[in-house]
Amino acid sequence: MDQFLQALASGLLLGGFYAVMVLGFSIIWGVMGVINLAHGEFRMIGAYAAWALFRAFGLDPFASLVIILPVMFVVGYALQTILLNRVVERPHLMALLVTFGVSISLANLYKVIYSADPRSVPVSYNGSFELFGVTMPIVKTIIFFLALLIMGLLHTFLHHTRLGKSIRAAAQNKDAARIVGIEIHKVYAITAGICIALTAGAGAMLSPTQAIFPFMGPPFTLKAFTITALGGLGRIPGALLGGLLLGVTELMVATYVPGIGTNLGVAVSFVLLVVILIVRPQGLLGGLRPMEVE
Amino acid sequence: MSTLTQAARPSLLRRWGGLLLWLLLLALLAIYPYTGVTGSALFTATQVFVLVTLASNWNLIGGMTGYVDFGHAVFFGLGAYSMGILVTRVPLAFSPELSFWQALPLAGLVAALFALIIGLPTLRLKGPYFSIAMLGTFVAMREIIRILRPITGGGTGLDLPPVLNRVNEYYFMLGLMGLVVALIWWIRRSEFGYTLIAIREDEIGAEMRGINTTMHKIIAFMIAAFFTGIVGAFWAWQNTYIDPDVVFIEQRTVEMVMMSMLGGLGTVWGPPLGAVVIYFLQDVVWGNLLNFHLMALGILLILLVLFLPEGILGSLGDPSSTSLGRLLRRAGRRQE
Repeated sequence: MDQFLQALASGLLLGGFYAVMVLGFSIIWGVMGVINLAHGEFRMIGAYAAWALFRAFGLDPFASLVIILPVMFVVGYALQTILLNRVVERPHLMALLVTFGVSISLANLYKVIYSADPRSVPVSYNGSFELFGVTMPIVKTIIFFLALLIMGLLHTFLHHTRLGKSIRAAAQNKDAARIVGIEIHKVYAITAGICIALTAGAGAMLSPTQAIFPFMGPPFTLKAFTITALGGLGRIPGALLGGLLLGVTELMVATYVPGIGTNLGVAVSFVLLVVILIVRPQGLLGGLRPMEVE
Repeated sequence: MSTLTQAARPSLLRRWGGLLLWLLLLALLAIYPYTGVTGSALFTATQVFVLVTLASNWNLIGGMTGYVDFGHAVFFGLGAYSMGILVTRVPLAFSPELSFWQALPLAGLVAALFALIIGLPTLRLKGPYFSIAMLGTFVAMREIIRILRPITGGGTGLDLPPVLNRVNEYYFMLGLMGLVVALIWWIRRSEFGYTLIAIREDEIGAEMRGINTTMHKIIAFMIAAFFTGIVGAFWAWQNTYIDPDVVFIEQRTVEMVMMSMLGGLGTVWGPPLGAVVIYFLQDVVWGNLLNFHLMALGILLILLVLFLPEGILGSLGDPSSTSLGRLLRRAGRRQE
């Protein structure tokens, strides 16, 4: 029972992180119909930025968000303006190939800059505490609550500000949004800026708990896809539900399938992805089409 | 894509010319080892043949059928591992180990069988969903191979008996490449090939006319997987060492996609042309900027999509279909 509770708690904490990691991917897909295959690489960039700031100035990964978020917003804005806006209205494959190219280039650029050696950010509070007999890692608990906060803020932004409303309008009906005077490409660029900043921020937050290396990206891109397929497209509650489901599943498999270790947990999420795509291509909650952002 | 549906009755030369040129080229290449070249030159040529074969296979499913497979290297890996496991770990009654020639068709069959199993569900998915499902299959397979340590050797990999014979390797790949490209050439002109293109252009429309699209897609997928598996098996034999990270490498899929795109998706001669061009581009970049090699590949892919989406052959056929072609034409008009 203790083992079960432990796996459940760890799974939920992991799921909270997954939820905040997947938001950027899910919203870009939901708003402009682009599947960003470079998603994991932007997470990797965030993690490296946190590592570099920690090493150079001793800056805490959570404090470094103040720098990383605005910088990565500009990067995302530029990426959308320079590359993605050119392919966003062409067949899906084109955008897929462009982001695939971005993914390879970034991963290998970082390999050249930082070498392939894994890095880590050893923060002083990287311990854990006990709660009702369950061990809770401190960093992951902080991330979990920060994730909930970010999701709340994002939800408020999308529903109660003018800009947020125009992003949702662009997602629902591009042409109608154009007619009422929304500059689609500008809205797309702002969306990409927010999403890339969020993704890099998620990478920075997780940097204390995981080894950082240039090729850490692709598994996360696939996980983001799995979670989006689980929870539905561009929906914040869906991202949370999908993230928690995947997190708990991975931890349960790692705990109860003997002799194989955590690697299978990773493989399980990919098997899960293929199964979901086959059984319910529209996603578990039925929102897997470029339609609406809640 | 109007370039792909040519006039109904092309002349005899146009119908057979491509194959004749191909056979001529193969005959010339068959003399190459007798011109006193070194083993490493033969090795280089063999690598080019591998790339041409892989790109042509990918083109069958990705270019002709329009199902962009982002995990096609999974069949390469399965072929390589089938070869590795059969040669090193299967003690048979009549021989202690299976030989290359016995293991080779089995490796292809394993890949084709896997294509059947994975294709039945995934080929029903449309557009990006298929691509991502295959990417997921690829990454999952790498992890599964790593986990099945008792059979696959896990992360430490498998050592194959070293049989280094550059000339035999050269002729084997030359023959395989000749066969595959000729097969693609034949498919492209056959009813089967036109059905694949119909599926790419309008799958629902093809279904309406009573075409069993699922069956056609699966057959194309299995053919592509079979030969990719055979190339993988050959590669394992030639390399004499396999582990999950050298066999299941994303770069292999990227190369297949790029070569097909550069040459022209869905054309017969585009992917071989693209493979040769990219190999030599890589060679130049590899020689001068070793570290930036993959980065340059990624950037090249982006530039291709933005400026040459129909590939070299596609753009030659219809210059107005690409932005580069339009740009050139506009520049030409200005000069007049």
